[in-house]
Amino acid sequence: MMNSGTRLRFGAALLALGLASGIGAASPAWAADVIRIVSPYQTTTLDPMRSAAAGNIETYGQLYSRLLRRNADTGALEPGLAEKWDISADGLTYTFHLRDAQFSDGSPISADDVVFSLERIHSDKKSAYPAPLGALDTVSAADAKTVVVKLKSPFAPFLGNVEIWNMGIVSKADVDKRGEDAFVKEPLTSGPYAVKEWKPNEKLVLEPNKHYWREGYPKSDATVELMEIASPETRQAMLTAGEVDVMRAVPWAQIDALKKVDTIDMRLEPSTTIYMTLLSEKREPFSNMKARQAAAYAIDNKALTKAITRGYATPANTTLPGSIEFHDNDYPGIPYDPAKAKELLAESGMAGKEVKILATADAAAQQMALLLQAQWQAIGFKPVIVNVDGGAWWDATGKGDYDAAANWWYNETPDPDLAVRWAVCGTCGSNSYNTFYENPKVDELVEEGTKEADPAKRAAIYKEIQKITTEEVAQIPLYYAPNAVAYSKRLQGIKLTPSLQWTLEDTTIAK
Amino acid sequence: MNILSTVARRLLQLVGVMAGVAVVTFLLLRLAPGDPARLLAGDRASAETIAAIRHQYGLDLPLWQQFFVYIENLLGGDIGRSLRFQQPVADLIQRFMWPTLFLTGYVVCLAVPVTMVLAIASARRPGGLADQAIRLLGTVGLAVPVFWLGIMLSRLFGVTLGWFPVSGYGNGFADHLHHLFLPALSTAIWVVPVLTQSLRAALIDRAGADFVTAARAQGAGEREIFWKTVLPNAVLPTLNLLGVMVAFLIGGAIIVETVYAVPGLGSLMIGALLGRDYYVVQGLTLVFAFATVLVTLAVDLLTALIDPRVRL
Repeated sequence: MMNSGTRLRFGAALLALGLASGIGAASPAWAADVIRIVSPYQTTTLDPMRSAAAGNIETYGQLYSRLLRRNADTGALEPGLAEKWDISADGLTYTFHLRDAQFSDGSPISADDVVFSLERIHSDKKSAYPAPLGALDTVSAADAKTVVVKLKSPFAPFLGNVEIWNMGIVSKADVDKRGEDAFVKEPLTSGPYAVKEWKPNEKLVLEPNKHYWREGYPKSDATVELMEIASPETRQAMLTAGEVDVMRAVPWAQIDALKKVDTIDMRLEPSTTIYMTLLSEKREPFSNMKARQAAAYAIDNKALTKAITRGYATPANTTLPGSIEFHDNDYPGIPYDPAKAKELLAESGMAGKEVKILATADAAAQQMALLLQAQWQAIGFKPVIVNVDGGAWWDATGKGDYDAAANWWYNETPDPDLAVRWAVCGTCGSNSYNTFYENPKVDELVEEGTKEADPAKRAAIYKEIQKITTEEVAQIPLYYAPNAVAYSKRLQGIKLTPSLQWTLEDTTIAK
Repeated sequence: MNILSTVARRLLQLVGVMAGVAVVTFLLLRLAPGDPARLLAGDRASAETIAAIRHQYGLDLPLWQQFFVYIENLLGGDIGRSLRFQQPVADLIQRFMWPTLFLTGYVVCLAVPVTMVLAIASARRPGGLADQAIRLLGTVGLAVPVFWLGIMLSRLFGVTLGWFPVSGYGNGFADHLHHLFLPALSTAIWVVPVLTQSLRAALIDRAGADFVTAARAQGAGEREIFWKTVLPNAVLPTLNLLGVMVAFLIGGAIIVETVYAVPGLGSLMIGALLGRDYYVVQGLTLVFAFATVLVTLAVDLLTALIDPRVRL
């Protein structure tokens, strides 16, 4: 006590010295109008085609407009850079009519820019996520304001897919001129914000784009800082001390404390996030379906959900996110039945096999790994936890060099097409999210689902996919988690949509 | 003359140290699992996309070839570009260097005077009440984990009392002092006990030395003996220890920088390690090696100033 007291006084004296001598102007804690958001997810590139990592997805939405946009309140698709569009009777040709819009330097956004942007996403080797344009055959400019897209086959979710985070329209002229540098320093943007300053590994500072096509938006002329802070304790301290306005990824354990703070609006926002555990079918024990089913029956996911999320999430019943269209809410899921689990395990002949559970360092991953370990131990597996960081996690799962790995994913659209292609399709390039699960019947249904236009028939197809993949345990569904985000009450109109986009252009600051 | 030879010898050592560090870091990073291309492109990227990115950045070349390219660039003064951000590593390091250096200087300014006072008070009557109390507090300061202390201090002085910011670096000198106070305090709380223990032991040891008896026999006053004989002799080992700590702080303030969100070299290092940003990690280790050699040299020069024997 005496120790720190002495130093405190000394520090205060130093501080007084600095102030008195007037070196440097101390800025007030609240510089004019700045909206600060802290998130653990980093912005690593400003090129909308280059990354599918969480931090970048959230940034792209602020920088680039797309052909269509999603209404933040209703979730409905609305005109974006395309004012209107026509779809041919056979469902193969989409004609987009562009509005008069400009990039952040005032240059017009033409059909050539749209063609260039979509082609990059579709066929550039470095495109991180071409899957949403999988059905695209050709895209061309009919005139300066008209874009014609031809599909290989009818594709029901197409309009929704051109609204996804990587579909942002970039300037052809600028990218042709500057190459990769076009996205390092002051990229030309088509969205509500332009880049004021990028400090990689620290923060991205945005200012309103004066040439944004939506007149009167962003509603506030405040600059925006997207700050990257890994430690949740630090993010919480910054929010409660009033140094930032929004805290992304609030850990479950901090929710109750933040709910008690008067100035803070602690929200659980709808999401399409699903937590589940992968099972590698590349090797024993989980190449054996009965062993996978034994592992699934051994998990009490209601108790697990309650223990990890303190009841803030819903136990999952199928392999697909709970809030996407055609999710089968009535499917009973795999119940907790340790007796049946033991029986299945005995039948599989995999009893006593070692199960290598990969776990990253964050709290939820550690807790999931521990609970999986305990419950699998109880039925006669030999589970061991292997701690890795994100880099090693992707390395191991990509090769199937693991047995179980609990993680989360989310779907960027309400439509289930991308979800099934990502999580349970063996021929869609994702190896069923690195589980190497493969069922030709499911792959067939995935293709049928996109060609079918009748919603009732589509519902039946996706119901069937969920039934098969949950029963065959493509993955073990654990829980559907909302996005836990805490907001300062001085902000109005801000939220994080299920597509992981901030509604910053609708945000105002209460005076 | 001798100082010059010390400097020359150190500079020679520097070349060897840097070369060793360059080789070891290069290999360690490449042999660790994890792929920068995957972390850059994200979950959904296909194997072809990953391969294309690896090809673009030359990560698909044989290891020895990558190494030679790296060394060649290094000799040309280019430490590379960040794989994640597509920006020169030198720019990144330069941007993140100042908060760390400021913090290190701040810690030294806080810790040194306090250490002097405590060690002298403690050594005056070894085993006395003051000595016991200081040693007890020192043990507590050493035992408390830095991350826990950091979180507690930021809760108390930042959130509850609102005296200090809980994050960032601020703008301008006074603002830096304000922002970095809690990080510097958290660090000083474990630095001070280490330095105090060393200085106290040396003070007690030197107080019984022959030259002190000699000085006393020559009729010097106790005050004069302490300031002119005991202290200069006792301060040298502690100065060396301080040098080691400063070098450590420049490279190792990772926990404090993480807890207080200081945009310094430690937070850059963590991000680069997790993102497998090879050239940033390599660049940083080179900078840390360089800083360590430089700090050691500075300590040697200071020692020579204090102790004439070293100059002989």
